[in-house]
This record gives sequence, structure tokens and C-alpha cells, in this order.
Amino acid sequence: MDLGLRLTVAASLSLAPLLPLGARLAYLQILRHDSLSTRASGEFSRVAQEAAPRADLLDRHGKVLARSIPSWSCFVDKAMVKDPAAFGAKLAPLLKMPAGDIARKTRAAYRFAWLKTRMSQEEHQKLVEARVEGLGLVPTQERVYPNGDLARGVLGLVGAEGRGLAGLELSQDKRLSGRARRLEVIRDGQGRSIYKNVADAGDMPEPLHLTLDRTAQYLAEEALREGGEKGQFKEGIVAIQDPNNGEILAMAAWPPNPLRNPLVQDAFEPGSTFKVVTALAAVDDRVVLPDELFSGEGGKWQVVPGVTITDHEPEGDMNLAQIMERSSNIGIAKVADRVGAARFYRLARAFGFGAKTGAPLPGESSGELKPMSDLTKVGLAASSYGYGLAVSPLQMLGAYSALANGGILWEPKLIADGKPPVKVRRVASERAVLEISAMLEGVVDRGTAGSARIPGYRAAGKTGTARKIDPLTRKYSTSAYTASFAGFLPASAPRWTILVILHEPRGAYYGGLVAAPIFSRLGSRLLTLSGLPPDRPAAPSLTARR
Amino acid sequence: MDALMGFDPRRVVKFAGLGALLLFLCWQHVQATRIGYRVEVTRRTARALRSRVADLRLKVDETISPAALAARANTKLGMIPATPDSLRSLSGGESSAVGLLPRLWARLPIALPLRS
Repeated sequence: MDLGLRLTVAASLSLAPLLPLGARLAYLQILRHDSLSTRASGEFSRVAQEAAPRADLLDRHGKVLARSIPSWSCFVDKAMVKDPAAFGAKLAPLLKMPAGDIARKTRAAYRFAWLKTRMSQEEHQKLVEARVEGLGLVPTQERVYPNGDLARGVLGLVGAEGRGLAGLELSQDKRLSGRARRLEVIRDGQGRSIYKNVADAGDMPEPLHLTLDRTAQYLAEEALREGGEKGQFKEGIVAIQDPNNGEILAMAAWPPNPLRNPLVQDAFEPGSTFKVVTALAAVDDRVVLPDELFSGEGGKWQVVPGVTITDHEPEGDMNLAQIMERSSNIGIAKVADRVGAARFYRLARAFGFGAKTGAPLPGESSGELKPMSDLTKVGLAASSYGYGLAVSPLQMLGAYSALANGGILWEPKLIADGKPPVKVRRVASERAVLEISAMLEGVVDRGTAGSARIPGYRAAGKTGTARKIDPLTRKYSTSAYTASFAGFLPASAPRWTILVILHEPRGAYYGGLVAAPIFSRLGSRLLTLSGLPPDRPAAPSLTARR
Repeated sequence: MDALMGFDPRRVVKFAGLGALLLFLCWQHVQATRIGYRVEVTRRTARALRSRVADLRLKVDETISPAALAARANTKLGMIPATPDSLRSLSGGESSAVGLLPRLWARLPIALPLRS
């Protein structure tokens, strides 16, 4: 037989058993390649996530208000724990938790349970070195507020899963949240990771700049804290706005609560601070002359049979400026009667009362303005001095800012996004607004708000005192009041509009006695820090004493 | 048969090239794995360092928070908040001279005779 043929036969015979093997190989490598490849990679490769930090919240000067820092959370996989008691005892010193708590959490888990969140890098390192079976570690991001409770009502809160629960953290959640970076890694036989590639580069959001001024916010909170800690009132609110563009500089509330922002979410009966609306309508329409006198009726006036309005002091004849200075309910009700319900209602709406301001915060209240059909003679009289309606503090702040800047209502701006401020509308003629501003200066200089004065500076504003409704009787309480003061300074060129509201003050309850001093103290601090020169010449007597 | 058993230099070069390529691929794989380990270790180190930096920045922020500064100013330095009338602006009293030489001249204690 030919040598070549013999070799071919021998080779064929020896290779024949390999044919099924080759066929099997081809089947696995070609036909089942995809499914087997996926199964194999699942055995040794995984996707590691690096939790994306939430964007920092910064004040108008770039100072940090909220920040995310890397941290670790650990969990138990119950299926891998044989003895929960021993597991707890081993972990207790590392987690600084009672062993019993760890064992209880482990037993109570169906399969998975968090043991501890917000752990530091050192704690994580100790746990890694301890190599405890059944314990898993996950990198997370912790939200921290370096200034403590400062502006927490505005900033809000972030939950354990890193989602915003309240305040700006909630309303801006999408903008603040980043996208986690995903890395593909493979594991070797000892369980060590080997970097493979970046599956998703993720997204790190840019910091969010707010219009808040950290220092102004601190001063506002400090102004409230002193009285709040002494129990001088039940709840307090202080807000500061730049009247020239609507930027909110501070929003403070006592007691501090990250889940609630009463400046935006609450509405209150404003009382006499609302008299400016009536007065402005009268001056704008020229239905009241500057020196026209209205009778104070000796402090009691029957609007209609059975309905009597009273003043806190018996008054005689007063012009409009004196009505504002003495905060006469009777005087302003008579002015409102002259103005008429339609004009009063239109101006109140123009100021933004009864509608949401558009502030980027959750749960904003629109307040409550009676429909024009309810503004009967009595209804109009009550509304003229701020009863029978509800406004949010933010609306009131915006209204006084409009008075401070010559009549422009700005949309409140809380996020410094580089966009120009939004002008809502002109509420009244500049002439009328300037006249009212002068009257408000008179309120501070000669009227009910004497304690709002700041030496060397011109300030303008209006006090307010309103009875609160007793929730049990649904009638006006005889012991619970809301004291307020809204004003701006320096009156020559206003830089700050300040609103102070104190709910249920103890002892003295007039706005001029309890809220106006807070305005003065806060305004004084703001003026000192800004270094603005005085806009009122020193009184001769004061100069002589010095 | 002679051709099968004979020495063909071209074939040897081809096998050597193939072998070198295989060696290179093996070396590359080993290097990639080694670098993969190092990347993973470096990534962990970077995370630990980022965590440390974040902790330190947090401490700085906490230290310079207005409440902390006010407390230190008050308790350690005995400072109290100033009022606007306790400030004196020096800018109003300065010479109106503009420029370096005129300002220096204005500071010299030389009284020029007044023209009257």
C-alpha cells in the first residue's frame, strides 16, 4: 500500500474520536456563544457603581449651605449568617452598636437589612479588614449642612436614598441629583476586583447658587432665636428681600424645621400691615386729598347696625398720613369706603395677594382673598385693615418691596441662575407709591413703630396686630395674636425689605412693641455690615450729648 | 517526503512570528490584568482620599459658619456686634488729592501760606 495512503488512514483513525469533540466545541462556541458568554461573565464580572454626589447648595457669595460627602453603608445578607448572636458580637465593636441590636436586625431581616448608614472611611476600612461573612458594604453619599440649622426651612431635607424630601432639596431634586458612574470590573479567584472599563461616565451636577446671603440669614435667625428661646412667642418668621430685583436674602423661622417653611406654606391674617393696600388705592386714584380729615369717632364707629369697629386708642380727626401713623381701623375703613370694593380688590390682586408668587419651593400657599361679591360694606371695612383675608408672608414681603422700589412687583427669586429677575407688574403709579412710602416713614418716626427706628438712618414700615382665630371656638381669640412689622431701609434708597411676624407673643402683643424692635436690631446689623453711610442727619441734641 | 522532512527557512520564520505574536498577546493580557488590579487599588485610594478631603472641607465649613464665628468672637475674643452709629467712615475726611505725588504732598506737615 502506498505510504501516503497509509499515513492518511492512520491519521484519520487517530483523529476520528476527536470529531465529536470538535462538533461539540463548534456547538458551544458558535451556536450557544451569546448565552454562555453572558452566563460566564455574570460569574466573574460585575458593574460597580460610584454614587454620584448631589450638587452643592451655595449662597449668593459661594458659601456652602449644603454639601454631599462620600460615606459608606453596611448591610447584612441573612442567608450567609449562621449564628446571628456571634455575628452581632463580632460586629459590635466595629460598628459601635450593641451586639443585641445587630443580632435582632439580622434575625428580623427576610434576607437583607441595613445595619448602619453614614459610616466614615475609617469605619469602612476596619470592616473590610475584619472580613465578616454576611456583611456587605455599599458606597453612598451623605448630605451634610455645615451651618447646622441655618436656612434649613429653605434647604429642606434629603432621605436615606438620597432623594429630596422637603424644601429646595425636593423642588430641585432633579437638578441636584447626579447620575452614578458605572464601572465594569471582573473578580479573580480570591474575590479581588480588576478594573475592566467605564460602562457609564455618570454625571456630576454643577453647584446650585441661591440668592440667600448666609450672613443675612444668620442675622435673621439670630434676631428670632433670642426671643424664641426665652419663649416670648410661639412661632416667628423673619424674611429679607432685595426690593430692587426680588431676590430673597434670608428666610428664617422659629422653631427651625427642615420639613416646613412657614414663609411659603403658611398664610395668616395680616392685620394693619395690609392698610397700605387701602391707602395706596386711595392715593393712586386721588379719592383722598393729602390734608383731608376723617373723623376717628372717638375710637368706636358703627359701620352698619350691629357691627362696630374699634380703635385701640380713641382718635379725633385725622388725615390719611395720621391714619397710617396711628394705625386707625376706623379711619382706614372710611378711606376704603371711598375707594370702593372693586378698586380695593383689583389693587390687592395686583400686589399678588390671593395667588402663588412662583417661588421655587414646594407647598406654596396662595393665601385667601375674598371674592369681590363678598366685599360688602362690612367685608370691605374688615379687609381694609387686614381682617377676613389671609396672605402668605412671601406675598406680604413682595408687596412691601413693591412699595420700596417705586411700585414694581418682582417675582421672588431664590435661585441665582443668571437669568434676569422677572417683573410681574407695576402695581400703582410711582407718585402714589412715593406718597405712601413717605407715610410709612412717618409711621416709624411719629407713629406706632417708634421702636423700629435706627439712629442715623431713615426707615419706613407698618406695624400689624391681628387676633388669631381660636381653632376650638372658630371665633377670634381674646388672648392669641399675630404681631408683625413690614418695612424697608434705608428709606432714601431701599436696599432691604424686612418682614417680621410673631405668632402668639407672650406679654406685650402689639406689632410695634414686639416685632418692630426685631426689625430695628436686624436692620442695624445689616447697615453696619454693609457700611452704608447714614441717610439722616444726626439730631442736634444727640450731637451735643456726644 | 523530502519536502516534508526538509528544512524550510520561510516556514520557520512564519512559526517564530506566530509564536512571538502569541507571546505578545499573553504578555499584553497579563499586563492588562496587572494594570486592572492597580486601577482598582488606585480607585479605592482615590475614594478614600476624596472622603478625607470632603471631611476636611466640612470641618473648614463648620469652623467658618457664622454661628461658630460669632460664638468664638463673643466668648474667646469678647467682641460684641457693632451698631451703625459706632462706626466712623474715614473716606469722607481724606484728602481729595488724586495720584501718588499729590497724596504724599498732602500728607506732609507743611502749611502753605493762605492767600487772602
